[in-house]
Amino acid sequence: MSGVFDGLGGNLALGLGVALSFSNLAYCFLGVLLGTVVGVIPGIGALAAISMLFPITFHLDPTAALIMLAGIWYGSTYGGSTAAILLNIPGTPSTAVTALDGYPMSRNGRGGVALLMSTVASFAGGSVGILLMMLFSPLITQYALSFGAAEYFALMVLGLVAASTISEGSAVKGLAMVVLGIAFGTVGMDIYTGAERFTFGSMGLLDGISLVALAMGIFGVAEIIASRSQMDHKTLDRTSVSLSAMKPTRDDVRRSIPAMIRGSAIGSFFGTLPGTGPSVAAFIAYAAEKRSSRDPSRFGKGTIEGVMAPESANNAADQTAFIPTMTLGIPGSPTMALLLGALIIHGISPGPQLMTTQPDLFWGLVMSFWIGNLLLLILNIPLVGLWVRLLLIPYHLLYPAVLMFICIGVYTVNNTAFDVWLVAAFGAIGYLMRLLGFQAAPLLLGFVLGPLMEEHVRRALLISRGDPMTFIERPISCTILVATLLLLVWSGVGALRKRRAADAPAVPVLADE
Amino acid sequence: MQQPDYRDILGGGLLLLLGLFMIWYAASSLSLGTIRRMGPGMFPMGVGGLLAMFGLLIAVPALFRRSDFPAVEWRTAAAVLAGIAAFAIAIRTVGLAPAIIAQLVVTAGAEREFRPLALLVMALTFPLAAYLIFGVGLGLPVPMLRWPA
Repeated sequence: MSGVFDGLGGNLALGLGVALSFSNLAYCFLGVLLGTVVGVIPGIGALAAISMLFPITFHLDPTAALIMLAGIWYGSTYGGSTAAILLNIPGTPSTAVTALDGYPMSRNGRGGVALLMSTVASFAGGSVGILLMMLFSPLITQYALSFGAAEYFALMVLGLVAASTISEGSAVKGLAMVVLGIAFGTVGMDIYTGAERFTFGSMGLLDGISLVALAMGIFGVAEIIASRSQMDHKTLDRTSVSLSAMKPTRDDVRRSIPAMIRGSAIGSFFGTLPGTGPSVAAFIAYAAEKRSSRDPSRFGKGTIEGVMAPESANNAADQTAFIPTMTLGIPGSPTMALLLGALIIHGISPGPQLMTTQPDLFWGLVMSFWIGNLLLLILNIPLVGLWVRLLLIPYHLLYPAVLMFICIGVYTVNNTAFDVWLVAAFGAIGYLMRLLGFQAAPLLLGFVLGPLMEEHVRRALLISRGDPMTFIERPISCTILVATLLLLVWSGVGALRKRRAADAPAVPVLADE
Repeated sequence: MQQPDYRDILGGGLLLLLGLFMIWYAASSLSLGTIRRMGPGMFPMGVGGLLAMFGLLIAVPALFRRSDFPAVEWRTAAAVLAGIAAFAIAIRTVGLAPAIIAQLVVTAGAEREFRPLALLVMALTFPLAAYLIFGVGLGLPVPMLRWPA
């Protein structure tokens, strides 16, 4: 293992060179700028923005594409806190927790301080996350090179089960959505035999359901339908966002630093786990901060720790979420699944070999995170007034524009109107799912991982000559499957206990992007 | 008003039906193969079975539970989805600019308040913005106007 870090210096130099090339720098800037904009505006998240721009990235080289899409992802978390703090409307799901204390702060006239400090917390959390990614990715990659089809299958099962049971909402419904996603993933031509499955004679379905159309329908369109009626009246105190109102007191700073350190640590950990992601990370960081506080009663009334902990946690998680995606090729969230989809479309197979075969892509991406986070610091502190103005655009002008971008974006992927019809169909399905209390995130994960799972399970059984014991006899695969089973039992017990405790199933659904 | 938990009864029921359909489809029109060399039907059949199982797990307990059904935004849903459909029809026949305008007009049905001025402004600026971003900026070959053949 000693040789793992030998090339680190060279890799960093290589990455920096890639990230600092003019075009990559420009795409990084464009990504974080767009991310901030969509993060500020409630109702369009990073996922919607990434799916909208997904088609465009086909025309870029893969590194630039990934740098830009990643910039949208972590940029939106910076921007999302602005709406959460000023309007109590989280711009992105992971900033919902920030609103708990951020909005009371702005009601107390301290919105400027909350905005500034949340940007600082975001930067600190992001930095910790990137450092961990730089240190751990080479280690995990080396370990993962020995994985075979059985191990990958087991890892994917674990990821999907974790994604649907750990996050909020009913575990059974989450698992059902994973399976539904896998079911949608089986549509199209079978890779081994060429047999048509569930195409019903349609040419448009031969290559499977378009990932962009599915994501746009289920997240973008369904979100617009659900939120249109809630977006009408908002009031805003503009005086609190001037630069002079941003100066934190010495007490603010003193209380912020430990909260930021704890938040970054918690966020980094939960970011790497499949299914938890930034929302859960922010929530747990907030809960931990409240529990460890000497005076928990101040939380919810506008205390600075209540902003710092979740903001550093969700940004740290944003960055560490790339670790399993880039080293194992297993995305932990729908957004990561989309980024993986972008790689696959460019003909790059994600997995442990990626770091050795495409070091410029991997390290260029990592170094672009540093540049992107620095750019966001600049974009968010002096320019916050501009973003606040975005919040004042009436929603009845905004959502038609979003719908137009969705339609054009989806149409231009394959130049086919069929995919636009698919968006409408998945918009209807997505809205129905919302009404019936089903989460959309597990569905997208299942959709992306389903075909890979099928491939691995078929390959594993081919190698073992049809003996299903192969999944249990191989030690790594067995360990992972046992962990999955424990997780299922644990969430089953938890659900039963919860049902006995209270008969009200009112759990807020915080779908992570 | 509390009523039987129709959300989960409906949701679970739909999943059950879809799962059963997948099993039937896989069994009737795809070859299953063997465990060692799986055919195209084996995996979908397993997925269908799981889906049906989860459908039951969701629907059956809901029969004995009472809950509220959320309000449905019929008007918004219909207008937004019809707007997308209008775009899908117009883009292949008359081109991008009319498709955008058609979508705007249909989607405007979602609003209770009719805002002719806002609609006019959007109808003028959106196609222009789309042309600048997608046509000029990204160089995508999407015809702005097309004459129906």
